Amino acid sequence: MIKLIIKRLLVAIPTLIVIIAFVFILMRLAPGGPFTNERALPPEIEKNIQAAYNLDKSIPEQFLIYVSNITKGDFGPSFKYKDFTVNELILSGFPVSLTLGLSSIIVALFLGVFLGTVAGIKRNTYFDHIIMSVSLIGICVPSFVLAPILSLFFGLYLGLLPISGWNNGNILNLILPITALSLPQIAVISRMMRASTIETLNSNFIKTARSKGLSQKIIIRKHVLRESILPIIDYLAPASAGLMTGSIIIEQIFGLPGIGRYFVVGALQRDYTLVSGVMILYATLLIILILFSDILRAFLDPRVKLK
Amino acid sequence: MNEILKVTNLSVRFDTPEGLFSAVKNISFDINEGKCLGIVGESGSGKTQTFFSITGLLSNNGACDGSALFKGINLLGKDSKKISKLRGKEIGFIFQDPMTSLTPHMKIGNQMIEALIYHEKTGKREALKKAKDILSIVRMPRIENIMQKYPHELSGGMKQRVMIGISLMCNPSLIIADEPTTALDVTTQKDILNIFNELKLNKNITIALISHDIGVIAEVSDDIMVMNEGKLIEKGSCNQILKEPKKEYTKHLLSCIPEWLN
Repeated sequence: MIKLIIKRLLVAIPTLIVIIAFVFILMRLAPGGPFTNERALPPEIEKNIQAAYNLDKSIPEQFLIYVSNITKGDFGPSFKYKDFTVNELILSGFPVSLTLGLSSIIVALFLGVFLGTVAGIKRNTYFDHIIMSVSLIGICVPSFVLAPILSLFFGLYLGLLPISGWNNGNILNLILPITALSLPQIAVISRMMRASTIETLNSNFIKTARSKGLSQKIIIRKHVLRESILPIIDYLAPASAGLMTGSIIIEQIFGLPGIGRYFVVGALQRDYTLVSGVMILYATLLIILILFSDILRAFLDPRVKLK
Repeated sequence: MNEILKVTNLSVRFDTPEGLFSAVKNISFDINEGKCLGIVGESGSGKTQTFFSITGLLSNNGACDGSALFKGINLLGKDSKKISKLRGKEIGFIFQDPMTSLTPHMKIGNQMIEALIYHEKTGKREALKKAKDILSIVRMPRIENIMQKYPHELSGGMKQRVMIGISLMCNPSLIIADEPTTALDVTTQKDILNIFNELKLNKNITIALISHDIGVIAEVSDDIMVMNEGKLIEKGSCNQILKEPKKEYTKHLLSCIPEWLN
């Protein structure tokens, strides 16, 4: 198992290099640079700045320097946030983003699986119809529409919850962002889970379980759930990717000091190192998540062998 | 002779999008204790639904009426809780497709002892011991490791032996076998039918054997009942049906067996 994890992580290195190269090239393809101004700087000063950030070297040279710095764990200085390195910025924002992302995926997973299973068992009842219609809305309404509505309603009209700020991770401050971020995923997961539950309930081995005279509760818990949850495990990685991109907007709307805003600001201001740094972090997280969901899948389904 | 199951005026209907479909039309029959009743008919003749309905395994859109007395208890009465207690305990089931009839993520041992633990609150160790004994009755090869294996690691014949084992765990008095040999090759088929004969003789277990294959039915049955389009065509002893069939349909069915088999 440990061997497998190490192997998969080693395989991830080329993937990461390709991603780094891609971001590197895309950023430099964008017109302008980090030090482009309305008013041109005196050429000597500009030359000095360029030299300080290695921007005077050729692109392949810059790339090699950047990659070799990364292997030392140094993502370089931020071009725009003066006196900050990318490492410092990420370290300050990452706990916020991680808390938001992880809680959202956990909430989405539990609620989605629960609602989907119940809807599948009670299919074509009122409960099923309500869950499925609400989830359809959840899929159609993007989180950047949902977030302001939630803030308006719960924050301003009802005055129940704070509408912005991190407040050292106070749970009240997190409720609205987590809701806005996880609702679309709850919708998708519950629909998938419903379909999968219905399919499993119709399979022959459930007929066998019924023929044993077991109670409905035991049949669901021991025979249905572990089979019907498999598509959700496979969906875990794409769902997390969706959450990551969603969190960039949500962090802006709720004024959370996560890394999402660095990504947006960095891209707009051609902060090459900051964008690459955040990108590498996202990519690494995603690779780890895919690995995690593969391991979980093999753990739940004895027919899957890890190689 | 003691009748263990007495079915009278049983009808089964399905509520389909195309309207009500009548799958079983007003049939009556009984099975004597320790005997095997073979039910023959082409697919769609209602033979499976007859037995699913009296044991409460009908799909959600199905409904049935009539009466089915199992040891004097009406299975079609209102007390559905009682019936699910009989299911798996007094009445065992074997299904057609062994490849998909076992839960893929559960070890064979756990699947076998589940019903015993649920119905009789037996301890796990004791239940596993019983499962081993039963696997030797169904002549399972390599019994030692089988408990820790998953269904996908077993062959079709082995899976069907496990299914028979599961149906035997709580010492049932009736086993309903729905096309138990259809998915198996002939040598395994023969083996499974021999096991049925042994169960009948040694353990006095009553068997309802559902099949479209008269050859299979003739191998174990004492009585035969012929069904077509939800109706009971003819019933009688095995010899009478095979040698002197009274109804046209039965004669047709028998004429479908290749000559060289007789």
